[in-house]
Amino acid sequence: MAILPILIFPDPLLKEKSAPVERVTPEISAAIDDLLDTMRASPGGVGIAAPQTGLLKRIVAVDVSASKRGAQQENHGLLVLINPEILAKGGRQIVREGCMSIPDYTANIERAQWVLVDALDRTGKHVILESVGLEAVAIQHELDHLDGILFVDRVASIKTDLFRRKKYR
Amino acid sequence: MGHFSVSVVGKDRPGIVAEVSRILFEQGCNIEDSTCTILSGQFAMILVIHHSKFQAADELGPAFDEVRTKMRLIVTVNALKDEEVVHEKAFAGHPHIISVYGADRPGIVYTVAQELARRKVNITDLNTQVVGAKDRPVYVMVLEVDIPEAVDMKELEKEFGRIRKELSVSITVRPIETLEL
Repeated sequence: MAILPILIFPDPLLKEKSAPVERVTPEISAAIDDLLDTMRASPGGVGIAAPQTGLLKRIVAVDVSASKRGAQQENHGLLVLINPEILAKGGRQIVREGCMSIPDYTANIERAQWVLVDALDRTGKHVILESVGLEAVAIQHELDHLDGILFVDRVASIKTDLFRRKKYR
Repeated sequence: MGHFSVSVVGKDRPGIVAEVSRILFEQGCNIEDSTCTILSGQFAMILVIHHSKFQAADELGPAFDEVRTKMRLIVTVNALKDEEVVHEKAFAGHPHIISVYGADRPGIVYTVAQELARRKVNITDLNTQVVGAKDRPVYVMVLEVDIPEAVDMKELEKEFGRIRKELSVSITVRPIETLEL
């Protein structure tokens, strides 16, 4: 168990595509524990992707119940998703997102309102789950990390949608 | 060396950006920040530029005489003090979105803006338009504002309640919260 350092943009590893997890080995399990510790150590943090810690594996964790606003919405609590894929999505919503890897900015990003996700859970069991609202935003944001996509890549207008943080809490 | 703001307004047509940027390039200016929009067929552009030698607006201003006559553009050049140049939009308070809509009538923007100014709420973005059928125009205004810590939200809501009645408009204030990922 450890809190790992977070890679900060423009670290080139953040733009890499991560590789699928072949098997949930003890090493992968330990890496997941570290990811969860790291996510929980970040103020208000409700999601993390393995490549943010330099581990180029298709693993993300999301827990919107850790934020006040997220907890008020439909959610699955803590989700660990291995090799996740979005099977279907629908609707649209715009939420202001912040990212541990881009600590100086926040941005309004348009995402799907609803997603259907296929993944392995942390025991390696195959799951299909539906997610809506903020949890769906968090899942889409973290899945983007697995393909080297950052929220700034999805900003429609830097003038109206990108905001500099006064300070990172 | 200094910073300047340059604003350009004129009837929209292809080539305005090309001509303005050509002049800036030829004068040795660096465009540091810019945005443009088209309102009812009028092209409007504002730029913050930097020049390694120029200090005063009249060193750069005359370079635009050519497009002033040829393209009938209104071009204004202002010298900026270095400390006035802030590169990003920075929030000091709590960002909120205020949406206002209702039957079109005079004074909607003024009434809402006056109330915000009175409370030192900073408007960081403002869009207004008239939508809907010709005989039943609906006025829509969306503001992004920065609400200082000291503002009593209940008081603000009470004032908006009064404005809602007075102007028969709908006013909704929503916080912009950041999802920390």
